[in-house]
Amino acid sequence: MIVEGELSDELSPTFAGMTLTREGGTTTLVGRVRDQAELQGLLQRVSDLGLTLLTATAKDAHDRR
Amino acid sequence: MVERPRISGALDAGNEATLTLVAGPPGYGKTTAVREWCSRQEAALAWVTFDAGDNDPARLWTYVATAVDRVRQGLGRLALQRLGFVGAPIEAPIDELMNAIASYGQRLVIVLDDLQSVTDRACLASLDYAVGHLPENTRLIVITRTDPAIGLGSLRASGSLAELRTDELAFTAAEGRQLLVERAGFDLSAEEIETLCQRTEGWPAALTLASAWLNRVDDPQAAVVEFGGDHRFVADYLSHVTLETLGDDDRQFLMQASVLERFTAELCDAVLGRTDSGGMLAALERANFFVARLESGGWFRIHSLFAEFATARLRALDPAAPAEIHGRAARWLADRGRPIEAVEHAAKAGDEGALARILGEHHFVLMTKGGDALLQVVRTLPDEPLLEQADAITSAAVVATCLGGHTLEQRRLLRLADRARTESPDTFSPWADAVARLVVALSVDAEPARAAAAGRRAVEIAEENADLALVAALAAYARALYFDGRLDEAWSAALRAIEHPDIERRASGHAHARSTLALVAADRGHLGAARKHAEKAREILGGVGLSRSWLGANAAAALGVVLIDEGSHPEAERELAYAEGVFRDEVATLHHAWLLVLLAYVRCRRGRLDEAETTARLAREELDELAHDGRVAKLAAEVEREIEQARRRASDGEVLDPPTPAELAVLRLLASELSVPEIGEQLFLSPNTVRSHTRSIYRKLGVNSRTEAVARADVLALLERPESPM
Repeated sequence: MIVEGELSDELSPTFAGMTLTREGGTTTLVGRVRDQAELQGLLQRVSDLGLTLLTATAKDAHDRR
Repeated sequence: MVERPRISGALDAGNEATLTLVAGPPGYGKTTAVREWCSRQEAALAWVTFDAGDNDPARLWTYVATAVDRVRQGLGRLALQRLGFVGAPIEAPIDELMNAIASYGQRLVIVLDDLQSVTDRACLASLDYAVGHLPENTRLIVITRTDPAIGLGSLRASGSLAELRTDELAFTAAEGRQLLVERAGFDLSAEEIETLCQRTEGWPAALTLASAWLNRVDDPQAAVVEFGGDHRFVADYLSHVTLETLGDDDRQFLMQASVLERFTAELCDAVLGRTDSGGMLAALERANFFVARLESGGWFRIHSLFAEFATARLRALDPAAPAEIHGRAARWLADRGRPIEAVEHAAKAGDEGALARILGEHHFVLMTKGGDALLQVVRTLPDEPLLEQADAITSAAVVATCLGGHTLEQRRLLRLADRARTESPDTFSPWADAVARLVVALSVDAEPARAAAAGRRAVEIAEENADLALVAALAAYARALYFDGRLDEAWSAALRAIEHPDIERRASGHAHARSTLALVAADRGHLGAARKHAEKAREILGGVGLSRSWLGANAAAALGVVLIDEGSHPEAERELAYAEGVFRDEVATLHHAWLLVLLAYVRCRRGRLDEAETTARLAREELDELAHDGRVAKLAAEVEREIEQARRRASDGEVLDPPTPAELAVLRLLASELSVPEIGEQLFLSPNTVRSHTRSIYRKLGVNSRTEAVARADVLALLERPESPM
């Protein structure tokens, strides 16, 4: 998931379980999302913080339950 | 305050629309823009701000009705009376409210703020319903971060939707200049303003943060340059640097209060262990430092975006702090009789034990005034903490029963109550004991004798130690006795219920007992008394907004039985069909099977034999599933025989002289509920012509009544041929 702006370390606990990588004014969040409920929760956090979501990609699609 | 004629203009344009949608991410000045616009309108204002705890239609509309009632006292009274009872249908209070607003006559603006918090389907459906029933004098403005699922597409297509969205809400460079130079007095060049607006993309919250921050730094120009060159997320950056400019104590207070979302000075004092919260809040509010006073007395909130970052920072410094703050807030609110808010904080604290304890202590208020909130929270909890809180379990079982259609959940809760009885006998109160048994009696299940025994025990316990459950227990006991065929005992138990000194305040039990009295009286052939009791049951439920609920369905069923005995089959079918729909569930229940049997009978009597047969078959399947062989099974057997006889009578003999097309047209309408003059009107015939066609139909079909004619037409499939053209 890529959002606009580089997020500070203080926000890491907010996205617990995700790895944050910052580069060129964007932040890439990578992590395992167990189900749709968790994904919706994550998107909700993005919205609450006023972040602009640029892309969201599913990896390891065959691993999904 | 920045003047934004652009935004007011857009809101003015919405005067022609039914609904105005103000949608954008947090911090886009949505609330400010609407509030500012409202203050310049010559219209009354009802403003409601939602949060995630408001995902219940009854609570949502309680807030709206309360806000409308503040416009003029009494406007929301009828709607409020109909709200707050378990299982009440939501359309009735909405209708009351809309009628009251229409009669108010003057312009009214209703604002629903933070509607993104409302995600419950039933809540959104109720709003959709309200949008469709708004009186002419009312404008509805919805402020939200996400587009709500309330049929926006069709509103947009019909031109009834005005929208104000992120692009319009963002500050232009001119507005940024007004905020930072003209209002805040910074000496910034056009280029620096441009940098700020570009870097924040006109996000008003970020610009406000920037303003608060620039105010506290020595060299604003240098700060802007540094900000412009930074790649951090703007709100993150600005919240951080702004908090940095505060003193330790102010910073600590803001971070901790941010966790609470909504609070009073008193709550802050208690939860944060201070005594000066009132002063702190007043000072921060004066400094315009992200603290805002809410409409309702003494409550504050911190600007949500700032609160997010402040909470994140607190969590980074002390990971356990937010949960501790929520836990203390839950205790404090529960002690002050605010269980609904307390439950929300306990849930956020993640303390299941505390959550269960709050439910246990406040189960009665939550059951009677909290809609289905109690049930919803109980669902989220594991068994362990609940086992200590049998009162909450059994009250939730009552809610599940009264909602209708939740039989499986109700049984799960009863099993849990049984475990609590054996595993935690010390905390298993007489109330829990009485209520668990009365729920068994209420639902009756397959064995009415067992249900009656449970009801009897519930009554004994309630008499000794739980008077608040007594009327409901007697009513449940009476109903179980009725299904067990013990009419005399059912009658006297129901009579004892309605003779309780506090009967006027026990609407649910009262109505249920009256329904049973009606059924017993009808069985004994006392139709006058039966009708009186059934009507009284309906009146009581209507008075508390429960006409369309499980109890309302019970009253409808009783009235249906009375109507059958009075020979008013079309009216009986209407009542019974309604009750059948409410009793329908994932599993077979005796109540539902009983309703199907009654419906099969009435359909047979109305000559619709195929339908009657199908209905009777469904009833038989449920009775088999229940392995019930009592009163309802006997009734089912009688109805099956009746249908069979009717079919034999109807197919007897041949029709030598088929009805003419004109007669068939009349015959088709004889199957409806229309009277002879009404049939005439439909077919452009005089009543006398209709009567002569009818006589001819009777003669040709060899029958003596309208019902027999319809039944025979049904069996001979006379009406299935397409009508011949005139």
